[in-house]
Amino acid sequence: MREAITLTVPFERPYQGVVRLVLGGLAARLDLPYETLEDLQLAVETILGNDAYAVGHEVSVEVQVDGSILAVAVGPLEPGALEHDLEASDDVQGVALGRLLAATMGEHELEARDGQGWLRMRKPIPAGEPTA
Amino acid sequence: MNVPPEKNDRELLRRYHHQGDVEARQRLIEQYLPLVRSLARRYSYRGEQLEDLVQVGCIGLIKAIDRFDVDRGVELTTYATPNIIGEIKRHFRDKGWAVRVPRGLQELNVRLSRLMEELTVQYERSPTIAELAKAADVEEEEVLEALETGQAYATLSLSAPSGGGDDGDDLDPLESLGEIEKEYEVSEDRALLAPGWKVLDDRERRILELRFFEGLTQSQIAQQVGISQMHVSRLIRRSLEKIREEIAVDASDLHPNA
Repeated sequence: MREAITLTVPFERPYQGVVRLVLGGLAARLDLPYETLEDLQLAVETILGNDAYAVGHEVSVEVQVDGSILAVAVGPLEPGALEHDLEASDDVQGVALGRLLAATMGEHELEARDGQGWLRMRKPIPAGEPTA
Repeated sequence: MNVPPEKNDRELLRRYHHQGDVEARQRLIEQYLPLVRSLARRYSYRGEQLEDLVQVGCIGLIKAIDRFDVDRGVELTTYATPNIIGEIKRHFRDKGWAVRVPRGLQELNVRLSRLMEELTVQYERSPTIAELAKAADVEEEEVLEALETGQAYATLSLSAPSGGGDDGDDLDPLESLGEIEKEYEVSEDRALLAPGWKVLDDRERRILELRFFEGLTQSQIAQQVGISQMHVSRLIRRSLEKIREEIAVDASDLHPNA
């Protein structure tokens, strides 16, 4: 079963909490483990927390569940800055963006939509155990 | 004749740095107060009085003026901005709670931290929101809200020397403040060379290394380091932010024209 939500917020720090809460609500709905929610929130926050990635005033976060895969897209984003950071090493960033996204989400790539950049991420959903 | 502001600044900076003219320094501070106020306003949603943040930001401005290299050809605005923002952010970290959180949510956050550890052991995996809600006997929405409040708390006070307790102690009851600090092994190269890592303490470095270089999960790290999973989460976020700020400040020092 596919479930999808799209949240559009101003690209401003106070709205990161709104995004976190919505992702948390979705995680509850999907029965995701807390650590999966944490990984998802950290990945999205890292993008939303960098003004260099902003294109205009707003940003959207799309989350879809397709079977056992959690697919997340964030955009529109400034493709040049994002591509630069995705290719940068730990020597430049301390913890490279690519490394952080790989650790939290697994697969990630920059895609073009209507001439703007979107970050696509895919994370396997661990199977939860039924509670007693 | 109107002197362009940047020329006026340069003249004042030269007078201060080359001739020790403290009046020139004072004029620069006054001229850049609007910039400090503008930057401080960005952070005034966090429950702090704007005037307090302006005072903190002024510290950053003064540092920038005092450290400014007149011969580098950069504008003071470019150099001062990351210094002002850095000072304001450090202020929030040092204060503990970034926003005022209702006591009930703080207490629920404490309970959830304990339940998280218990359920992780019981299920041998990270619990779901529903499982946490059931164990805490609250609604799932309350769990989410309490978890969110944990992100509002900067736990710098918990890594201070023992005896420095404050409200923040309640959030991580599994940690004993009286414990002797463990020594944490960190890859020497990374600790010495990686940008931003120099501002981290040993535990923060170790946690980032375990999470992003050795691929451990938060619960695995919590077990290894001897703290709660939620505390690991906060430390990861805080450490990443510290690295980013340090890199931003270093960049403005090295490349003032950027």
